[in-house]
Amino acid sequence: MAETAELILKLAFGLIFIGVALGVVRLVKGETTVDRVIAMDLLTIIAISLIVLVAHVAGRFIYVDVAVVYALLSFLGVMAVARCLEQGI
Amino acid sequence: MIELLAVMLCLGILVSGLLAATLDNLVGAVVSAELASLFAAVTYVLLAAPDVAMTEAAIGSGLSTMIFLYAIRRTGGGGD
Repeated sequence: MAETAELILKLAFGLIFIGVALGVVRLVKGETTVDRVIAMDLLTIIAISLIVLVAHVAGRFIYVDVAVVYALLSFLGVMAVARCLEQGI
Repeated sequence: MIELLAVMLCLGILVSGLLAATLDNLVGAVVSAELASLFAAVTYVLLAAPDVAMTEAAIGSGLSTMIFLYAIRRTGGGGD
């Protein structure tokens, strides 16, 4: 049972690693601004899951509060960029 | 594993900072700067400083992006 949990945690770290790498590639390549905004949103969601995973691994559940605050603020940031692209801010 | 992730996040800060400095498109540069701030906040969490990470998330990634976008709109720059 403990081995399975360890394997799942390692798998989660690996998937987050791949996701961050692919998101940065999209950010660097992205031709339009919308591509970059989507890459930023993807990386934000990956970062929230990474913070929660680190909270579990480190055993410090105060980190989950950081993840919650980050989720709220990142939503606001994406909305601001979208409003700016729609000429409305 | 944590150390590898910290190195990768620092590389992400470097890449998005270079992108923010060199992009011609102003909104894209602001998005890249926001991403550098995001990576910095996650790195602070990895380095066991959750209060600094929360402040970085609130000010660096939320507030400064909005102020930059507002300034770009008011001065007539940016867009695709």
